[in-house]
Amino acid sequence: MRREQTLADRITGSAVWRSVVRHGYPDTQRNQALIIASNVFLHIHPVKIKRYATKVTYTFCLGGLSFFMFLVLTMTGVLLMFYYIPSESQAYESMLAIEGSVSFGQLMRNMHRWSAQGMVIAVFLHMGRVFYTGSYKPPREFNWVIGVLLLVTTFLLSFTGYLLPWDQLAYWAITVGSNIGGAAPIVGPQVNRILLGDLQIGQSTLIRFYTLHVIFLPLIAAFLMAVHFWRIRKDGGISGPL
Amino acid sequence: MAELANNSTAPAAQAIDEARRRKLLELVRGRALARPTDLAEDEVMVWPSLVVVEAVSAVVFLGILTILSVLVNAPLLERANPQQTPNPSKAPWYFLNLQELLLHMDAGLAGVIVPTLALGGIAAIPYFDRSPLGVGILGTSSKGRKIIAFSAVFTTVVLTGMILIDEVIGTGTQWGIGRYLQEEQGAPEWVGGIVLSALIMAGTIGVFVVFVKGIFRPTRRELIIALFTGFFVAYWVLAIFGTSFRGEGQELTWPWNLPLEHH
Repeated sequence: MRREQTLADRITGSAVWRSVVRHGYPDTQRNQALIIASNVFLHIHPVKIKRYATKVTYTFCLGGLSFFMFLVLTMTGVLLMFYYIPSESQAYESMLAIEGSVSFGQLMRNMHRWSAQGMVIAVFLHMGRVFYTGSYKPPREFNWVIGVLLLVTTFLLSFTGYLLPWDQLAYWAITVGSNIGGAAPIVGPQVNRILLGDLQIGQSTLIRFYTLHVIFLPLIAAFLMAVHFWRIRKDGGISGPL
Repeated sequence: MAELANNSTAPAAQAIDEARRRKLLELVRGRALARPTDLAEDEVMVWPSLVVVEAVSAVVFLGILTILSVLVNAPLLERANPQQTPNPSKAPWYFLNLQELLLHMDAGLAGVIVPTLALGGIAAIPYFDRSPLGVGILGTSSKGRKIIAFSAVFTTVVLTGMILIDEVIGTGTQWGIGRYLQEEQGAPEWVGGIVLSALIMAGTIGVFVVFVKGIFRPTRRELIIALFTGFFVAYWVLAIFGTSFRGEGQELTWPWNLPLEHH
């Protein structure tokens, strides 16, 4: 006996729907497997996973949160880019405009700022969690190294973004920071010059930091994250008790 | 996965009514129902078990972030002015640990060599500690957790003590020895700023290792736990000092005496 077709059945049975979603409602194990395997965003996961790997008190969601904050930062960052002008003479004014006259501009900026701080903390704590659970041990050595590179990339992303508001806080924090880099033995002056593009922070510095911040470093981070996530699966999923 | 793909091309199979399916089941006994995964005892399906955790934590976190962003505005001071140096000038907070170190020794040692060695050492950990023992257990064992607690307390107390001692004797004088060598004996600046400072840091870490070894008789993994905890805690202790206790002229002060413009 066939039951009567509801509107939902018609929609989910239509050729258009089936062309997009190739699995039925995920209430059977088969469809639950298909939904993971046939969705580009979900297929980063395996179909099945060890039970301990879903325990929040094991991972504290820290790696996931770091990635999530990266996504929030990308989205709010793109929105801010519509209004921000990386020019010595206009950067600060465009910041005032974002805060004062752009709809939800202040909210976008706040979300960007706070998740940037949050990402530094989350990445750092994620490293702690991975360390204290011994998850760097073979076969995951290389992924640990990738993780350290991601930590450094996160620091650099945050540091390059710090200059962009072009206020006193930004200007002098970057002055102190780049002086620290400039104190490197032997190559110090060169490092400082490469960072600033000039003898002191100015237009060349701003455009360097801007380009690094909005495209170069995000690409590096995305590249490293791709390797990082891929290796988790290739190394047998997240670690757990033997 | 090939098996899955084949099965997905048969939506008609879903339409088979229950009675007929039972018959089919009888026909091909044993491996009748398409079972894409053979779940072991300790396994769960990612959908829904993991996806739900991810979705809920994303929503909760996004909620917290949104509320925070509605309530607290990101700082924006007056326009950048190269002519007017704020006092104190501070790096972003996650580098303030380096800036704190910088007060006590040579800038290159504090700002570049120490962090490079620390990050390099951290990256190298898995190539020293290769035994799979304790994987998946927070802190490895109850002994491991005791070592973590000891290392955290030791690092906090000793580091705070060293900063305060430096404050009394003279910050950046290497307990007065560096100042003595430079002023009385005419030694060049790097003797105190680099050599003595490096010796003091290495010596402190050495004393720490001797303590851990004496008290706990640690395995290699446990010793690395102690050292990593030392780094982890030192990072935050120094950052907190730099953020909250350094006022005008980088003098030690109480957090409530600081200008309220550093984030």
